[in-house]
Amino acid sequence: MTRLAPRLALVLFVALVLQRSVLVHARLADVGPDLLLLIAVSAGIVRGSERGAVVGFAAGLVADLFVQTPLGLSALAFGLIGYGVGTLQSSVIRSAWWIPLLTGLGASAAGVVVYGVLGAILGQGHFVRPRLLVVAAGVGVLNALFVPASVRALNWALPSAAEGVYAR
Amino acid sequence: MAVSRRSSRPRYTLLLIVLTSITLLTLDQRGNGGGAIASVRDVARDAFAPVQDAADSVFRPVGDFFQGALNYGDVESENARLREQLAERDGDVLAAQEASREQRALLDQQDLGYVGDIPTVASRVVLASDARFAQTIEIDRGRNAGVAPGMPVVTGRGLVGRVVDASQRRATVLLVSDPTSSVGVRLSSSGDVGVATGRGRGSTMGVDLIEPATKVGPNEVLVTSGLEQSVFPPGIPVARVKEAKSATGALQQDVTATPVVDLSRLGVVKVLQWSGQ
Repeated sequence: MTRLAPRLALVLFVALVLQRSVLVHARLADVGPDLLLLIAVSAGIVRGSERGAVVGFAAGLVADLFVQTPLGLSALAFGLIGYGVGTLQSSVIRSAWWIPLLTGLGASAAGVVVYGVLGAILGQGHFVRPRLLVVAAGVGVLNALFVPASVRALNWALPSAAEGVYAR
Repeated sequence: MAVSRRSSRPRYTLLLIVLTSITLLTLDQRGNGGGAIASVRDVARDAFAPVQDAADSVFRPVGDFFQGALNYGDVESENARLREQLAERDGDVLAAQEASREQRALLDQQDLGYVGDIPTVASRVVLASDARFAQTIEIDRGRNAGVAPGMPVVTGRGLVGRVVDASQRRATVLLVSDPTSSVGVRLSSSGDVGVATGRGRGSTMGVDLIEPATKVGPNEVLVTSGLEQSVFPPGIPVARVKEAKSATGALQQDVTATPVVDLSRLGVVKVLQWSGQ
């Protein structure tokens, strides 16, 4: 992982720049995509559960540095999602173009819900409200649009021995 | 055995990640907005500020394209609505001018020249959070410009929120629409005080503690109460009453109000260098 760190750091940096410049305008019903969450999901898709968890943790930590919510919350949520996607992906026995898209959509939506629930457990009770499901759906749909680019970026950033079905 | 060790490794990694996250969360909570964690955040934000400024300049046209494409329906319907409003207003120009004069006089009487001699720092909004969890904006002035946590943030129309975090070059403002935001308010007609709480961006605010007997007029302006130990100076317009209902036997009215500032379209704001009472 150490020798892969510069590439992963570059991917995270580019994602952060895009997230905080271009994508702040790409909103649907006042909800925008979450590229750092998508990186966690994509890492799980291309490299399996362990790398998914580690990359998810790193991406979450970066996200945590720029929001006002408790530091470690995104790291925990994204790490869990990366692990979950990797575990799920290992049970996929066939490759189809729509599977990563669907995974990106579902896992991103699940990531938002997990984040909200963990936040509520940690005292941010207002995180869980009916609108959370709308937000989760919005993030899921918007993130799904970026899955192909994200999977490609993660394949480049984590190029060693293949683990996931979509590893190249 | 080797297979078993390999298959359990992801679980150990996950356990390590969970424990590390919990440690970070604990440190952040104990730091209570300060300490090492806050310093790391400030350094990260300051280091990223020039990159974000450059990216904003380069990508603004792309962002505008996304905004236009994704909100085309909204823009179209808003355009139609504005045309309709304009047509209605054309016939009422003189009445509107008169109303405007009356409103100015009323505002003067209510002492809504709220900034007074409080020093201000003009700031540009560089980032607005989406409606996901925290309702915040980020402004391009920080401690270097004299901005500090707790300071109120306003526009010409009224209250936007208050600074909750400030690094050297950036500051984060919690909007009045955030569910964790509470503002002590005073009814401009009766002088009764209550507490206005956010319910999310685009939603109305709830106003508590208004007694059932109090007469609350539609469109009545709520201003900051400025009571002792208030975090806002008195007299800043916060919201306009949208609806007030009083159920039989209730201890307070059910009052909803719309923020006077359009929080979804903030460009330039002013930080009041006011440190509370």
